[in-house]
Amino acid sequence: MVGRRLALSLLTLLLLSIVVFAGAQLLPGDVGRAILGPLADPAAVASLNHQLGADRPMVVMYADWIGHFVIGDMGQSYQFRSPVAPFIGNALLNSLKLAAVAFVIVVPLSIGAGVWAAMRVGTWIDRAVSVGGLSLTVIPEFVSSILLILVLGVWLRWLPISAATRAGSSFGVQLQHLILPSLPLVVVLFGYIARMARAGTLEALDADYTRTAVLKGLPHRTVIFRHVLRNALLPTITVVATQLGYMIGGLVVVESLFRYQGIGSLILAAARGKDFPMMEAGILTVGAIVVLTTLVADVLYTVLDPRLRAGGGR
Amino acid sequence: MIRIPRLVDQMRRDASDLDNHVIDEFAAGRLDRRGLLREGARFGMAMPLLGGLLGTLDPFGIGVARAQAGKADATIRVAATVPSGAIEPVTVANTGGIVMLAQVGEFLAVDGPDLVLRPGLALSWKPNEDGSVWTFKLRPGVKFHSGKTMNADDVVATMDRLSNPKNGSNALSAFRGVLSLGGAKKIDDLTVEFHLDAPNGNFPYYVSSDNYNAIILQADYAGDFEKTFNGTGPFKLEKYTAKVGASFVRNPDYWGSKALPARTEFSFFTDLQPQILALQGGQVDVLGQISVQGGQGILNDPDVKILKIRASTHRQLHMNITQPKFADKRVRQAIAMTLDRVGLVAGLFRGLGEQGNDSPFAPVFPSTDLSVPQRKKDIAKAKELMAAAGAGGGFEATLTTERYQEIPDYAVLVQNAVAEIGIKLNLKIEDQGAYYGSAHPGTSDWLDSEMGITDYGHRGVPNVLLAAPLLSTGSWNSAHFKNPTYDKLVGQYVAATDLQVQRGIAHDIQTLLLDETPVIFAYFYNYLVATSAAVSGVQSSAISQLYLQNATIS
Repeated sequence: MVGRRLALSLLTLLLLSIVVFAGAQLLPGDVGRAILGPLADPAAVASLNHQLGADRPMVVMYADWIGHFVIGDMGQSYQFRSPVAPFIGNALLNSLKLAAVAFVIVVPLSIGAGVWAAMRVGTWIDRAVSVGGLSLTVIPEFVSSILLILVLGVWLRWLPISAATRAGSSFGVQLQHLILPSLPLVVVLFGYIARMARAGTLEALDADYTRTAVLKGLPHRTVIFRHVLRNALLPTITVVATQLGYMIGGLVVVESLFRYQGIGSLILAAARGKDFPMMEAGILTVGAIVVLTTLVADVLYTVLDPRLRAGGGR
Repeated sequence: MIRIPRLVDQMRRDASDLDNHVIDEFAAGRLDRRGLLREGARFGMAMPLLGGLLGTLDPFGIGVARAQAGKADATIRVAATVPSGAIEPVTVANTGGIVMLAQVGEFLAVDGPDLVLRPGLALSWKPNEDGSVWTFKLRPGVKFHSGKTMNADDVVATMDRLSNPKNGSNALSAFRGVLSLGGAKKIDDLTVEFHLDAPNGNFPYYVSSDNYNAIILQADYAGDFEKTFNGTGPFKLEKYTAKVGASFVRNPDYWGSKALPARTEFSFFTDLQPQILALQGGQVDVLGQISVQGGQGILNDPDVKILKIRASTHRQLHMNITQPKFADKRVRQAIAMTLDRVGLVAGLFRGLGEQGNDSPFAPVFPSTDLSVPQRKKDIAKAKELMAAAGAGGGFEATLTTERYQEIPDYAVLVQNAVAEIGIKLNLKIEDQGAYYGSAHPGTSDWLDSEMGITDYGHRGVPNVLLAAPLLSTGSWNSAHFKNPTYDKLVGQYVAATDLQVQRGIAHDIQTLLLDETPVIFAYFYNYLVATSAAVSGVQSSAISQLYLQNATIS
């Protein structure tokens, strides 16, 4: 089953690369003009496009690029005239760091709040988590980011407002710089995950197996951790997994406001500059992560849910 | 009449005819102090002579900057726009890249914020009789950061590289019709002659900082600038990381006064808002450029200093005169009369700009004839003109433009203004890539639209702005304006080497364009730099070149 899913994933990525390439051709202008500016001399633009190989037929350009990509060569950036791979590597590492910090904060916080709200359903705590979480989710990232920067960075000066650190900075310094940028992500995701956790917990609390466990006389703690949470959190795992793609590749606004060179802003800049090799490599990298995390979530779901395991055995 | 000191009278004996003409103009009161500096510099008059004429003169302005209170040996932290590509002097065209080049690179001449040329890597320059050959004397003892001494070979190789159509050079659009490959010739190690395609009275501006690609590189430059940033400037590269930032350290071997800061540190940003927050949060000391639209929050902040540099940056509102609805010049004049220019400058730029008078002659250019009457809003007259042109009932048209800075707001204001004379404008606001397209007629909304608004950056002289968008053969002529009298006047203006002659021709051009109105130039706006109140001595040009060698922090 995993082998088949992997094969389908590779096919998905190949189709993605074709769609992105075809889409890039529809963008107006060309890379030479993007580099030299709209008022550049046509002879200079033509010459630069020729130097970069951007004046070749589309099919030739794609075949050349994909031929190198499959053997691990991401090609040369048109705009930076240097290999794409280090740009993608650094940006991906940065995005993973930011996602990891946000993940470590938001997952326990939101799951804990959701479960807590479900255990006290109908109380002010439940309403605060449900309504507050939903309200936070709809605040755009650029609003929450600027508010957080103003309060925590400019007025109180508790946290650095730039996510970027000097090369060679210690783990502690990097962590300090990543806390503030991770908070807007926490704001966006908290309500979503907490409400999923709350709904799952309420369903599990109402289930026959929970009633049976209580009637068996099991301690409350055991009922919650062994019977309720194990079942309640299965949908939440899927939700968290599907958010990983966004947390790694979709943080353009946060990366821009906190001066962080992540893969989202790298792809956006490449698209604006018609830097096709950089854009293709960036999108395929994010695509691969989305495909991979979805696969891992499915496998994890199967491992955690005995019913699915049994079904898979049949 | 100004009294010329006796010492200067003696110096006149050694001066050329052109030098003496400039002195005569100054003595007759037709040139003010600034005009004298500008004209003297344009013809390469020696600074001691100019200093003698003006009495206590600090030709470089450095003394003023260095007198600022503050601590030397500091690290100046700058927020700059991220360079969108490789830092390659031949091709760079983006703000971030220009800022980086200015840290380490130098030009033959420096165009200051007052549009006066100062000696840079050239000590002086002179034209021949008709301005078709210019001779530049180079500064001796200048060293590249690599240790090599700069000479005429480096200058010739740099100019050949920039004027070679095969190099993808961004300077080619400026050099086209002015300087061709092979036009720069070495005379001796410290003398270079430029043989131009046609006489040009403003040629020194083409090899000055006004042409940001023209930093002097070593003759053996191999296209790998980003590895070493090898220039001749007051700072040397410490570290550059694409898309992240750069740092520079003082160049101890610099030919001029050594930089006051020991180090500068640039952080790259993609947007203005986080830069402002970083300044307010004390994490940077200088913002390389701010716009009025994005920088409202700090324009009146007492903790922030705003440097305002008069500039020729503007927007051109073109009307395609081959379209029947814009064929009659009275319609075009009427549209131009609907605009409240004072209100536009106040509303769009909080007063940090100047009215335009429907020609490229910005008030900041010394050759602009400011006596030409300013066009003002006059709806009654506009309606009369529309009626006389047979368009009293108005018409419908589409204004196409780009999503860039204040332009969408300007488009809405134009839409409201022309509604007063019965014109219904539909707005088509596009991404910049879509608007410019491939910049060829037939594939570019910029050049094909019946009406459009286009952004134009600062230039130290109006030559390019007079030619490409308005000449019959101009490659940016979106108004499709063809007027032999205008073409002839521009040819005369470009060839003129004397400011008074230039101003006289400018008067004719301004008057002609006011009458024809193929393009509306409603405003020119200032270039703005922001620094922390503790910072002094930061200097900038209006084309993003930030000079930090005199910066201090108190």
